[in-house]
Parts: sequence; structure tokens; C-alpha cells
Amino acid sequence: MLRLGAVALYLAALLLAPAFVDRGLLFLIGLTMVQAVFALSWNLLFRYAGLASFGHAMFYGIGAYCTAAIIFHHIPVPFLAAVLLSAALGGLTAFVVGIIVLARTTGIQLAVLTLALSQLALLLVSYSSFLGRDDGLSGLTRPRLELGALSIDLTAPTAYYYFILVVCTAVTAALLWFVSGPRGRTLLAVRIDAERAAFLGINVKRQRILAFTLAGAIAALAGSLLAPWSQIIATDTMSWLTSAQPMLATLLGGAGSFWGPVIGAFALAFIGYFTRTMAGLSEITVGGILLAVVLIAPAGISGLAQSIAGRTRLLARGPRPEGRS
Amino acid sequence: MTAQWAFAAVNGVVLGMAVFLVAAGLTLVFGILRIFNFAHGSFFMIGAYLAHAIMGQEPSTLWFYLLASLAAALVIGLIGLIADRIVLRRLSRVSNDYSLIATFAILLLTEGAAKLIFGQDIYTVYPPPALEGIADIGIPVTYYSFFIIACGVAVFALLELGLNHLWFGKLIQAVARDPWMADVIGLRIQRIKLISVGASFALVGLAGGILVANQSLSLDLGHSYLLLAFNSVIVGGLGSVRGAFLAALIFGLFESFNSVLLPSMPGTVSYAILIAVILLKPEGLFPERA
Repeated sequence: MLRLGAVALYLAALLLAPAFVDRGLLFLIGLTMVQAVFALSWNLLFRYAGLASFGHAMFYGIGAYCTAAIIFHHIPVPFLAAVLLSAALGGLTAFVVGIIVLARTTGIQLAVLTLALSQLALLLVSYSSFLGRDDGLSGLTRPRLELGALSIDLTAPTAYYYFILVVCTAVTAALLWFVSGPRGRTLLAVRIDAERAAFLGINVKRQRILAFTLAGAIAALAGSLLAPWSQIIATDTMSWLTSAQPMLATLLGGAGSFWGPVIGAFALAFIGYFTRTMAGLSEITVGGILLAVVLIAPAGISGLAQSIAGRTRLLARGPRPEGRS
Repeated sequence: MTAQWAFAAVNGVVLGMAVFLVAAGLTLVFGILRIFNFAHGSFFMIGAYLAHAIMGQEPSTLWFYLLASLAAALVIGLIGLIADRIVLRRLSRVSNDYSLIATFAILLLTEGAAKLIFGQDIYTVYPPPALEGIADIGIPVTYYSFFIIACGVAVFALLELGLNHLWFGKLIQAVARDPWMADVIGLRIQRIKLISVGASFALVGLAGGILVANQSLSLDLGHSYLLLAFNSVIVGGLGSVRGAFLAALIFGLFESFNSVLLPSMPGTVSYAILIAVILLKPEGLFPERA
């Protein structure tokens, strides 16, 4: 109930934001919504499949570059189709990468392999004239949505902001539906004990590849939303620092909860905004908090909130029943 | 044409040795603590800044240059001791993914601190006068290149000798192989780990000092070597010094020949090698003897 209220409050705040904040801040909030979905997709791998990818920006970048290239080269594809195409391309790449990578490796090798693959993709992009080499694709215009008879102009920042909000909410809701259903529970079983899950007749490898594909598609979708919002896509979209963003957000917010990455993404944006005047301070703050999180409270902000809530509930009503996550 | 190949070969060896100097500490820390330290590259960068702060833009003599590098090694070694006491030691209790992320947090902390302390300017450091000349061995090679090769080989030889034949190296190996047993027979494992982590950090500080000349010293300095060092440590077999040495050499040579054969796509071959090795032989080409 409390959680439902918090989500409603969060949505209401995002809905009303354009009326209260200036354009710079609105841009930041839109960006953070995209980052939150990106982080959610990473946590799908981490929390539900037990796979830590250190090159998740590859898929984010594929989505961003796909949509950016369609806009930049005026390829006659409707915008919604471009977004879906980006997601499909991200999912397909993730599927192929997943089949190759998950056949052999886990743990540190998986981390370094995903990192290496994303660096290789970054290098190839920076050598491609079609994708603007090191300079990237800039001057991207915001599109019009053509939905049959209905035509919505997304050129104005506020209009596109609402588009991001709608898509991000839809994706988040779909993801929530997915992970709370039987498929999500199967994945969770694989993460907690792959061997026992295999004994129960779950095809562990197939589940992991499914999670990888889905995470890649969602990351690419987030990237494709980014292209017309920032109006420039350059190689840093694919860099390993971008790969670190969803990890930071997830750990900061709490990897053990579905909403952790969202909380973390906004916390990161908050820290970044208030330390923007001093170079280096934001890294120190984020690094320090992250270290504290890993060493003291591995469940992150949401876990801390839960344990505090649990403790107060304990005081009020005695122990709560076991078995709820 | 032969001159071009010879040139590429020499460059490759120099690059390989430079990468090994960075990779040595990384593989040692992994061997001892089973932690893959993402922050390794930023300590390399800080070592380079420290050496620059001591010797300035134009170091007067070779000895001063080495002395400044040793001072950088000392400071980074001390930081290593602190990092082990405060963070790394505690990571044995958390899962692999979390310890990777914790070292990433250290990376952020150190990069932020470096930004605050050293600023965003880009500096250049020249090699000391004794190393500035060019030797002609059929092709022109700078003395500084020979110096890097000599340092790489020297560090490798010292580590091999120290780890396999000296008492302290044997203690380190005992602790790395079986900490429980080492504890039972009365070794002070925490202290041995502390000292060896300090030494590994000192090594990368030293690398920062040795390699600072002839490159633009900026906050990005760590990144270029770091990924190659990562790759060498993985391809060589995690925790193996010999493996890291050979893999660094392989990467250096391939990277160098890559720029001759595929000049439009520098850097791609080493990633191809890494990916192939991880898929075919995930434990690395020269895994540690178990």
C-alpha cells in the first residue's frame, strides 16, 4: 500500500514537473527517466538472472545510434517504428552475444568479456563514417508521431518529455508484470540456485539467454528515447563509464528490490546536480556512497528503508509474517 | 618494408613491457586476494602525477627520474596499505560481483580526488637527458624505449625470483593457495596479505613514474593502459605473473602489427584475441599451477 502510494506520488511529480521547473532541469529529469529504465534493464540481469554485465552500454548505444542514424540520414521510417526497430536490434544483438558469452563464462570472465565486447563495438562505431566517427551524430530533430489519423508533434521539449514519461512508464509496468509473473520467478530461481533450478526441470541456459535478450532490448529502447532528447549521440553513449551508470544506480538504490534502480538513478542525478560546480566532487560522493553501500548496506537505499520500516513495524505490531520479498 | 616491420616489432615489445608494468600489480592483487581491482589504472595515473610533481617537466638526471618514480611507488604503496585495511580486506565476505563494484567505487573516489587535487590540465614530461638520444640498430630506436624494456624485464625477473625462490614469496604463495592452512600453521595471513597488497600497489605507482615521460599526462592516462592490462591479466591467466608477462608481450606485438596491417582500425585485434581466448580457454593461456 505504502509502495503504491510512493509510485503514485512519483508519477504525479513527473507529470507536474514541466509546470514547475526550467528547461535545463526538465532535460535532466527526462534524462534520468531514461537512465532509470536503462538501470532497470541491467538489474533484470543482475537481480533476476544473477549476471553482472560490465558492457551494458553496448545495447544502450546500439539503440541510441539506430534511432539517431534514422533521424540523421532522413531514412523514411516512422518514429515509433524506429524506436521498436532499435529495441529489436538491441534484443537481437543481446541474443547473439548471450548465446556466445553465456556458453562459457560467468563471474570475472563474464565481466571482462562483456566489457571487451562493448569496447570493440565502440571502436567499430568510431571507425564508421555512417555513424559519424568520433564526433557522433548531432543536430537530431525531434519527430512527429503519426498514429493513423492522429498526428502528435513532439518537437517541443515538453511534448517529448511527456512522450518519454509515457514510454518509460509503459516499459516499467511491463517489466514489473514480467518479473512478478511465473517467468520472473523462474529467473529468480535460477539466480538463487542454478543447480537446484536445473533439477526442477528449468533450462537454466535458456532462461539466462532470455534475460540477456530482454535486458538488451530494453536498454536499446532506453537509448533510442535518448537520441531525440539530447539531440546528439556520440561514442560516449557506449563507453564503459556509461556501462557503469546502471550498476551505480542499481547498487545505490538497492539491487534487491524492483524499484531500487529507479531510486538510484534519481539519487545519482540529484548528487550530480548538487555537486556540478566542483569538478571531482560528484565522483567522490558517488564513490564514497557506493563503497559504504557495498560494505555496510548491500541492499541499498530501498533495503535500508525496508529494514527501517520493518523495524518500526516490529515495534508497532510484532514480527511480520515471513515469506514476502 | 622490412624496416617498417622491424620498427613495429620494437614498438610492440615496448608497448608490451609498458602494459606488463601496469598488469603486474593487478595480477598479484588477484593472486593474493582473489579481487579484480578495477581501480588499478587510476593508481597508475596518480603515480604518474606524483612523479611529475616531484621531478617537474624536465627531470635533470636519470637517477632523479628513478628516485621520483620510487617516491611515487612509496606513496601508492602506502595508499594500498590503507585501501587493504579499510576496504579490500572486508571484500572477502561479499560476492564476486559486489567486490568488483566496490573496486569500481574506489576507482570513482580516486578519479574524483585526482580531479580535485591535480586539476584538469594536461602536462608533458620529457625523459631525462641520458635517455633522450636515439640508438641506430638498423632502425632508429630511442634510449627511452630500451629503458622501458629493461624495466619490464627487470620487474618480471624480480617477481619471478621473489615469488618462487625467496622466503617471503613462498609465504605469499602459501597464503594465496590455501589461506586456511596457512592460518593453521601459524602464518599471520592478514599481515602477509597487507604487505603484499602494498607491494602490488607500489608496483603500479612505480609503473606510473617510469612510463610518465613521452605521453600527455592527463586524467585519462590510466584508461589507455588499463584495458590492455586487464586483457593481459585475463588472457595470461588470473593471478599468474608469467602469464601476464607473455600475454602483455603478445598484446603489444599484435597491437603494433595491427597498426601496420589494418591502419584504419587500430585496437580491434587485441579485443578479438581477448574474446577468442575467453571463449576457447576461459582460464587463460598460462594458468597458475594449482
